[in-house]
Amino acid sequence: MSMTQLPPGFKIIRDENSEAYSDEFFVNMGPQHPSTHGALRLAIRMDGETIVELVPHHGYIHRGMEKQAESMSYLQYIPMSDRQDYLTAIQNNLGVVLAYEKGMNVGVPLRQEYIRVMLQELGRIASHLVFFGCFGGDLGGQTCLLFGFKEREMIHDILEEVTGSRLTMNFFRPGGSRFDVPDTFIPRVKAFLEHLETTMKDYERFLSKNVIVRERSIGIGVLSKEDAIAYACSGPVARASGVNFDVRRNNPYSIYSQLEFDVPVTYNGDCYDRYNVRIAEIHESMRILRQCIDKFPAEGPWRSKEKPVKLNPGRYYSEIETAKGLYATYVVAAAGDKPYRIHTRGPSFPHIGVLNKMCQGLTVSDLVTIMATLDPVIPEIDR
Amino acid sequence: MGIINFAPKILDPIPGGKYVVNAVDYVVNWARANSIWPLTYGTSCCAIEMMSSSMARYDIARFGSEVFRASPRQADLFILAGTITKRMAPAIQMLWEQMPGPKYVLAMGACTISGGPFIYDNYSVVRGAQNILPVDVFVPGCPPRPEALFHGLLTLREKILKETCRNPWQEGYPEDVSRVDRYREAAKAWAELEKIKDEEMAEAREKFKAENPDYKSTFKPVRVTKEAFPEVERPAAAELTAGELSQADIFGKIKAKFESATVDEAILATASSDSPAEITLDVKDYFAATEFVKNDPALKMDYLIDVTAIDYPDHFELITQLRSIELGHKVFFCVPLPKDESIPEEKRATSLLAKVPSITALYPAASIKEREVYDMFGIKFEGHDDLRRIFLDKDFVGFPLRKDFTNPEMIKRPV
Repeated sequence: MSMTQLPPGFKIIRDENSEAYSDEFFVNMGPQHPSTHGALRLAIRMDGETIVELVPHHGYIHRGMEKQAESMSYLQYIPMSDRQDYLTAIQNNLGVVLAYEKGMNVGVPLRQEYIRVMLQELGRIASHLVFFGCFGGDLGGQTCLLFGFKEREMIHDILEEVTGSRLTMNFFRPGGSRFDVPDTFIPRVKAFLEHLETTMKDYERFLSKNVIVRERSIGIGVLSKEDAIAYACSGPVARASGVNFDVRRNNPYSIYSQLEFDVPVTYNGDCYDRYNVRIAEIHESMRILRQCIDKFPAEGPWRSKEKPVKLNPGRYYSEIETAKGLYATYVVAAAGDKPYRIHTRGPSFPHIGVLNKMCQGLTVSDLVTIMATLDPVIPEIDR
Repeated sequence: MGIINFAPKILDPIPGGKYVVNAVDYVVNWARANSIWPLTYGTSCCAIEMMSSSMARYDIARFGSEVFRASPRQADLFILAGTITKRMAPAIQMLWEQMPGPKYVLAMGACTISGGPFIYDNYSVVRGAQNILPVDVFVPGCPPRPEALFHGLLTLREKILKETCRNPWQEGYPEDVSRVDRYREAAKAWAELEKIKDEEMAEAREKFKAENPDYKSTFKPVRVTKEAFPEVERPAAAELTAGELSQADIFGKIKAKFESATVDEAILATASSDSPAEITLDVKDYFAATEFVKNDPALKMDYLIDVTAIDYPDHFELITQLRSIELGHKVFFCVPLPKDESIPEEKRATSLLAKVPSITALYPAASIKEREVYDMFGIKFEGHDDLRRIFLDKDFVGFPLRKDFTNPEMIKRPV
């Protein structure tokens, strides 16, 4: 087999006369596969049980959001951001709105800042709980899926009460949000935190020390620090490889600079570390939420006076840390009420780019573990 | 269905045979309607609601559908959870063909009804699942709540219960509804309903007035006190931390090395570390400047945020966003790329109009980003070893994010 005969994307040329070569074959995983977390297709080149090379094929859920955005008004684009990464919908909203606020030159009152941070952290916990469930589920323990979603429903109850929607919130607006939070918001968050505190202990005991989980994740899918930076990984994936980078601390937006929290970093870069970082982040989010509950202004305005709909001509960039990593929005505003161009940098896209590097020499069952710990959301890659 | 299809023919002529057939039908349908096994399939947001509905809170097992099968050969029900794109449609049809009959399709969410939020100005979304598959039940919502999904399941159950061996399941056919503007249809239907309601209400009012001529309403409109909101100033940008370079310093370093670097002075003065000034560079300096900022010990731009482009009438602009993980500053390079004028007018839409050196040698992460820019804008990256389309099929005509892109399938958004 010469180089020209390899399917597109495959690069490694192997010695045709070697013995291992005869066992080589291609496996197609996806676009409909429970472990690819959505419509992603992985073309895998295998040598017996071992993965030689892997090529991801994107675009099975490419919905042309950026093209559509050019014919929408600025505010109409906010619900589009919900549908990119639907597990962190509330965080994506904020990412878009922060870019708009720069272009509109409006600020938000203190109460709104606390609302924003609290909803961010609730969204982060919800996303990590889905990760917890899917990680267990992909390793064969369906019980985790039930556990993760059980606590997530409680968060979504709170979010539903605040925003009126379960999954695609469409909540934040330049200068504030759609509504104020109800009076029950703080007591409910408090009650939820008390509940989560005890359940997280159970969950960690359940999965972190499980022999099968440890066997299947320790030392699997190692991503070095150099690779994590070179391939532009962010969020828990990069932090598990020792990249001490978190937008909330390095480039604080909203009121994160006034809050006290740690950025969990581990240094092995394997699947187990990525799991541990996310579990530690749930605890940090709970810590942030507790601080916010103490400081939450009971009175005061929840939005600014202006309700602007147009951006001043120019280019605006904002970045936030979603549960998956660095989510950046780049808005090119021209005269008029429609954006000239909006571009989104999602965190999952580079993670799939480095997948080939991580799973070489491993087996397909390891690939499933790695995919679970990368926690990608495909619609946010394809947009 | 096998032998049961012949049961009526054999048994009906026998006295009392009809009752036997009906009884068998009743039992078979009861079993079928209460154990619908769905296929594990989901593309986007609706899939998460589908997952939620199978979890402890909502518990789809109450309706006998908890057995999500990963193989289409073991499934009865195809829940189309999420948007269907033109690239995914053949895969979905293949899955449908692999399912054994009798099989049903439940279209979940607005995208599978009409294209939902992606109906206008879109070149890649299939407007309605009906275009590719025969759909039995539609569940509206964006995304539908689990309760709505259950309502859809129960509706499907009713449909299955009506199927008898005299009137067995038959495979339907897809129909082309891609040009149907369901929003306008719905608005029209809604307006008609409103009209009927108004007429009825007017009639009822007249009648009430005629019956109670002395009636006076005690209703007083309550005026809710209007909340006053203050004007809020934008907080000042975060101050530079120790060791961090200001945007002017970074620009000075690059300008000293590359003559062609320019920047908008007004923006440079106010640029914070959060949203940096954009440094415009000539194409010939682009690769060298990127290499310089990556390797310079004072800059250390080791992290590629993104590569993207903007289409202007006479030129493209390539935006490369870089940051330093360690030192915390950012730099954005803007590279104007003139469009190739030598290409004749009729070929412009399908040909690559500009070229720029690839930076994959410096940043491996740029590989997929450059493929995206190539796919969307038709800009050639010289030195990229694997320049293929990434999101669209390789035989897709045109480059969608160009401003003059046209596609016969696109419906323009009504103003």
